Amino acid sequence: MIKVGIPRALLYYQYYPMWKTFFEEMGAEVVVSPPTTQTMVSEGSSRVVADTCLPVKVFCGHVLSLVEKCDYIFIPAVRSVKRRVYNCSKFLGLPDMTKAVIPESPPILDIDIDVNQGKRKLYHNIYKLGRHFTWNPFKVRQAAIAAWQSFLIYQRLMSCHRLTPPQAIAKMTGEIEPKAPSLTQTTIALIGHPYLLYDEHINHRLIHRLEQADNKILTPETLTKEELQSAIARLVGRAYWTYEDEIVGAGGHYLQSGADGVIGLMTFGCGPDSLMMDIVRRASKLGTTPFMSLTLEEHTSEAGVTTRLEAFLDMIHRRKRRQVKVCA
Amino acid sequence: MEAYLGIDVGSVTTKLAVLDKNDKLVTHIYLLTQGKPIEMVQQGLKQIKQQLPKDVNLRSVATTGSARYLAGVIVGADLVKNEITSHAVAALQYNPEAQTIIEIGGQDSKIIIVRDGIVTDFGMNTVCAAGTGSFLDHQALRLNMTIEEFAKRALDSDTPVRIAGRCTVFAESDMIHKQQMGHRTEDILYGLCQALVRNYLNNVGLGKEIKPPIVFQGGVAFNQAIVKALQEELNTEIIVPLHHEVMGAIGAALLAHERIADNNNGSKFKGFGVSEVKYHTSSFICKACPNQCEIAQISLNGQVLARWGGRCDIWERDPSSQKL
Repeated sequence: MIKVGIPRALLYYQYYPMWKTFFEEMGAEVVVSPPTTQTMVSEGSSRVVADTCLPVKVFCGHVLSLVEKCDYIFIPAVRSVKRRVYNCSKFLGLPDMTKAVIPESPPILDIDIDVNQGKRKLYHNIYKLGRHFTWNPFKVRQAAIAAWQSFLIYQRLMSCHRLTPPQAIAKMTGEIEPKAPSLTQTTIALIGHPYLLYDEHINHRLIHRLEQADNKILTPETLTKEELQSAIARLVGRAYWTYEDEIVGAGGHYLQSGADGVIGLMTFGCGPDSLMMDIVRRASKLGTTPFMSLTLEEHTSEAGVTTRLEAFLDMIHRRKRRQVKVCA
Repeated sequence: MEAYLGIDVGSVTTKLAVLDKNDKLVTHIYLLTQGKPIEMVQQGLKQIKQQLPKDVNLRSVATTGSARYLAGVIVGADLVKNEITSHAVAALQYNPEAQTIIEIGGQDSKIIIVRDGIVTDFGMNTVCAAGTGSFLDHQALRLNMTIEEFAKRALDSDTPVRIAGRCTVFAESDMIHKQQMGHRTEDILYGLCQALVRNYLNNVGLGKEIKPPIVFQGGVAFNQAIVKALQEELNTEIIVPLHHEVMGAIGAALLAHERIADNNNGSKFKGFGVSEVKYHTSSFICKACPNQCEIAQISLNGQVLARWGGRCDIWERDPSSQKL
C-alpha cells in the first residue's frame, strides 16, 4: 500500500481529517509525524535560513521525521480559501521551500488551493493530485466528496460540541474519548493559530497548565462563523489575512463576552500576527476584559511563560475576589 | 509574637522580610545571591532569626522571585507567588493611590498598571537585558568604577551625551566612541542612565498607559541618577518607597498573611533549622522521549525533595521515586 506522510504542523490542525479521508479513499495509508519534540525543532532549524519563523522550522522538523517512513509527503500550497483574502507567503511557497531545504524528502504531493482562480481550476488541481493514485476521475471525485464530508463533521465537532482540534481528531479517529469540560469559575480564552495553540512543545503545555490551575479554556474553534464574522466586521471591517478569524475574530468576540481573560499566542517574527494581535490589543484597551499576548520562539524560556501566566491569572482572581468583597 | 515571612530570591539579590500581625515591617535582610540561591536563603534565615525576638511564631511563609520554587522547597513555603503579583501587592500597601508601578531588578524589569487598586495590565522584559540593572553593572565595570560611584558621578552631569541604548553591545561601542570624542565621564554616565530609561519605556512600557502616581521599586531604585532620568523622561514625580529593594519580599509576606486570613491552615514552614542542613543538588538528562529535558533535583540526606525542568511532569509527579 502507498504510504502518504502528513506532517503534524501548520495546517494539520485545520484540515487533517479531510486530508486523511481523501488519501484513504484513494487507497493509501496515512502516516502522521509524532508530536513535536526538541530534536525536531533543532533539526528543522538547521535546515532553513535564520529569519524563518518558528512554525516553519517546526514544520521542517516534522517533514524530516517522516523521511524514509512514507512514499510521499503531502504538502499543499494553500494560497487562498476565500475570495480576496490572502495567506502568508510562507504557506504559498511551502512545497517548493521544503523541496529546496530537504532534498532527501520523499516525492512531495502538492496542490495549489486558490479559490480566486475559480472552481474549475480548483477541481482540476484535485484531479491532478488524485492522478498519483488512480486514472479514474470518478474515484477522485468520490474521494474529494468524502473528504469534504469529514471536514464538515470535524468542524461541527468543534463548533457545536466545543471540542478542541486535537480532541475532535481523537474522536474521529477513535483514539480516546475526549473528557467532559470542567465546571470551574474562571474562563480563559486562547486566541492564535491552531499550530501554536495545540502544539504543546511550542507553547510549553499552555492548555495543560491552565487546566491544572482550574481554568476553563475557550478557543477560536468553538465559535461559530457568525460570531467570528460579526467581531471582525466590528474591529476591522473586512478580513485581509486568511487566518484572521482565529485572532481578530475570536479576540474581538471573547473580549466582549464569555471570557474572564484573553491570552493571545503569536510567534516572534510573524508579520501577519504582529498586525492582528495589535488590533486585538487596541480593542482590549476599550473594554475591561484583561488581555495578554505571549510571544513564542525557540529561545522563549519556560520561566518567562510561567511568570507571565501566573501573574495574569492572579490579576483575574484578585479582581474577582475584590468584586466579591465589594458586593458583600 | 505572630509574624509572616516573605522570601524573594532574584538573579542578583536575595531578600527576606518579616511582618507582624498588623503588616508592619519588623525586619528585613538584603543579600547578594552570588549564584548560590540555596546557601543565601539559608544564610538569610540564619541572620533574620538573630534579629527576631525569641518568642516569634511564623504563621505563614511565602516565596517569590525567579528562584521561588527552589526557595519554596528549601524552607517549606505555604505559598509560592510570582514576583509581579508580589510587587503589586506591596506597592499598593504603601501607596494605595499608585497607578503605575515600575520595578527594575538585576535581570528583569517590569511595569504594572493599576487602576482603582486593581492590577489591570503588566509587562515584563523579554530576552533583552538592556533595560535592567545588569546593563548598568556591566557599563560601570567597563568604566572601572563601583555602581555606587557610577550613580553619584552621573548626578554631576550638566550636558548628558546621547547614547544608543537599544542593545548593550551597541551602547558599549557608542560609549567608547563618546569617550574618544572627549566627552566628560559624568555626561557619559548620565547618558547611560537616560539610555536605560528610554530602553525600559520603549520595550517594557510599550503601549502601556503610564499615569501618576508612579512608584519605583527594585534594586535599581537605589540609583538616584536613574530616578532623575525617569522623572525627566516622564515629566512627573517618581515615588521611591523607603524599602524599595525588599518590596518583593514584603509583598510575599503580605500574601502569606492573606492566605492565613482566607483559610487558617497550619504552616508548612520547616523552621529556622533548615539553615544548618546540607542540601544536595544535581541534574541529569531525561531519556524518556527525544525532548532531552534537563531535570534538576534537590535532595536532603539522599531523599529527593523536588525535581523540575521537564516539559512533562513525569519527574515532578512523585519526587520521592528514584526511578522512572
